Amino acid sequence: MSKIVNPSVEYPANTWPLLFYGAAVLILAGIMVGLSYILGQRHEDKDTNTPFESGMKVTGSARLRFSVHFYLVAMFFVIFDLEAVFVVAWAIAFNELGWTGYIGVIIFIGVLTAVLVYEWRIGALDFGPNGKKILKAQKEFK
Amino acid sequence: MNIYDIVFYLFAAITLVSAFFVVTTRNIVYSAFNLLFTFFGVAGLYVLLGADFVAVVQIMVYVGGILILILFGVMLTNKITNVQIKTGTLQVIPAVIGVLLLAGVLIFKVFLGTEWKSVKTDIPVKTTAFALGKLLITDYVLIFELLGILLLVVLIGAATIARREK
Amino acid sequence: MQDFYNILPLILVASGIVISVVIEILSDNSEKILPWFSALVLLSASVYSIMLMNNTGTIFNGMLATGGNVYIFHFIFTIGAMLIILGSIDYIKKYGSYFGEYYILILNAVLGMMIMASARDLFMVFIGLELMSICFYVLAGINRKKLNANEASLKYVLLGAFASGFVVYGIALIYGTAQTTSIDKIIAGFVPLSHNILFITGLFLFLVGFSFKIAAFPFHQWVPDVYQGSATTISGLMSTGGKAAAFSVLIILLSAVAPSNANVFRPYFAVIATLSMIYGSIVAISQNNLKRMLAYSSIAHAGYMSIGLASGNYESIAGIIFYLAAYTFMNIGAFIVISMIEGENDSKLQLSDYVGLNAKNPKLAALMALFMFALSGLPPFAGFFGKYYVFISAIEANLTWLAIVGVISSVISVYFYLRVIVLMYFKEPETSVAVHNSNYGVLAAVISALFVIVFGLFPGTLLDLITSFLK
Repeated sequence: MSKIVNPSVEYPANTWPLLFYGAAVLILAGIMVGLSYILGQRHEDKDTNTPFESGMKVTGSARLRFSVHFYLVAMFFVIFDLEAVFVVAWAIAFNELGWTGYIGVIIFIGVLTAVLVYEWRIGALDFGPNGKKILKAQKEFK
Repeated sequence: MNIYDIVFYLFAAITLVSAFFVVTTRNIVYSAFNLLFTFFGVAGLYVLLGADFVAVVQIMVYVGGILILILFGVMLTNKITNVQIKTGTLQVIPAVIGVLLLAGVLIFKVFLGTEWKSVKTDIPVKTTAFALGKLLITDYVLIFELLGILLLVVLIGAATIARREK
Repeated sequence: MQDFYNILPLILVASGIVISVVIEILSDNSEKILPWFSALVLLSASVYSIMLMNNTGTIFNGMLATGGNVYIFHFIFTIGAMLIILGSIDYIKKYGSYFGEYYILILNAVLGMMIMASARDLFMVFIGLELMSICFYVLAGINRKKLNANEASLKYVLLGAFASGFVVYGIALIYGTAQTTSIDKIIAGFVPLSHNILFITGLFLFLVGFSFKIAAFPFHQWVPDVYQGSATTISGLMSTGGKAAAFSVLIILLSAVAPSNANVFRPYFAVIATLSMIYGSIVAISQNNLKRMLAYSSIAHAGYMSIGLASGNYESIAGIIFYLAAYTFMNIGAFIVISMIEGENDSKLQLSDYVGLNAKNPKLAALMALFMFALSGLPPFAGFFGKYYVFISAIEANLTWLAIVGVISSVISVYFYLRVIVLMYFKEPETSVAVHNSNYGVLAAVISALFVIVFGLFPGTLLDLITSFLK
């Protein structure tokens, strides 16, 4: 049985700037956090561990239950994020792909535009309370 | 042992240790944050393999998107942050047999059966994004368009489940 | 251009999806337009899949196969889904999910199945699988207010994602050893590859993922809850189209091993076939809910079809395809009849609700009796020949014991199918409340019944057609 050969990975020899940069970031961040830890004062008072040490009193837990709508928006973000990944892959090779590639991407984006309009139409992109409704109610109130 | 090996072991250690904590931590928020380091470590490994585009996608989509989604899910669920995850184990024996078989095959075939070598060259690594983009539009164009339809389904499905009642 | 013409069924369904999204955007009562539009799209796709059946070949650099048995599968999916849509028109008002997205998702699920059947590339298989599965996850929980449906959807999505994970892991190992994702190239190099334990491990993981999708025994736990919790019409589609699509992929794999007599997975398929048949048939006896009973019967049917996978010769492949065609029509018919009898809020699904159905609605009782006869595998209906061909192929492959187990469990299963008929015809109803039927539902059920009878009376025609494409 033949041995599987690891697809040979080729590393450039002169990547030391990248490594230097990475090390610099780590050291700098370490110094900043470490120094404030060493030099900072320590005290243990009544409000030390509250979210707003010198502000208002906390009225309740931050663990409120949010509307599922926020999750939907986050999900849309991930999906359109993915779409962007594919379009970027095409854009990098744009010059070589020419018009055939352009048509391919137009179909891809067209499908997703249709669904974006659909989301808009059914109100999946509406955030929070309906502003128009509130304004209308206010006018009637006056 | 050169500098690349050190970086590799660093990223591998980050991935494995944080993955261990993802599974063992009892608090679901800690699990989610440990997952961040797992994704990050895997992205580092992709860079070392010369897969730059996949690494960027890993950071953009997994760290920047999916992890946020998980944290959102935790946040939006009432009182889940203090809930101890109940992890009862059922069917221990079949699971152990299955995992040992798979692990055995992987260890003996992949770990011991591969000639691991890293070649050092002076040639700068070319970006893989160009070749990927070209393949996506030429050879795999049908898959590309179908992915568009797949994303369409996901969007419609999400909106259908979470839609306001008429 | 010829390439595009050859995959016209796929293109029709795909463009139908985009157009129905546009209809959903433009129209305020899309739930009235979309059922007819999507039924029309599926009908034309099925007509073209018959017309193009002789244009066999592969297109797009060997990504998709056209013609032949692939288009027989396309015909099964599109006609089956069209019948489901006809049955849904009145049903989903009753079920409480009366909006257009329901039909868009069904079209998408069909597209996923068609891609799975045509796929000649592992990426394609995976995209088809996900396209189909994601639609089913959403369709299972399309009514948010029903706890049952939510439970079904969540169970299905969690376990289904796990199964997809197995498939992807398997594909990764197969690609790692075979250095290609093209199924034709993998098949060409199958014999040398099958000595590589890593390749076999990958293929095994792939099979485990698909055993989940066909609802075979050790991976069946989701089936009863999902079929019971989902809308009845959707259960009908999941149990037929979903199963047939997963089998179409397994059949492609099997065609790699059939000629070379190197069926390394014979023990695996023989074990899951035996366990699924016996488990499904015995547990179905104790069910009082009809949807749950059909769910267990679906596990048993997956077992009968897996006999064909275990025997692994051309006769068995033809037998499985015939069986799938027969099973699709009889099961869809049965689920549509159940959906018409079902009341609001998941009521009237118990066996006791079928007592004396003949007096309340003789039309539905006759249709139900026909489908139950066909499912139990009694001649002269299509179900009998499906089982017969598969059992014969097992005997030819020296797996007589497997055929005997199949016959025994068929005999067991006759009990719970015929019990429904006995209750409908030979028991006096306690109340004489008439059972209403929907005209579209009856139409769909009658069409399925016609297919069941025609396949039963002339089984040779279809089987010869399938066999001619295999050679």
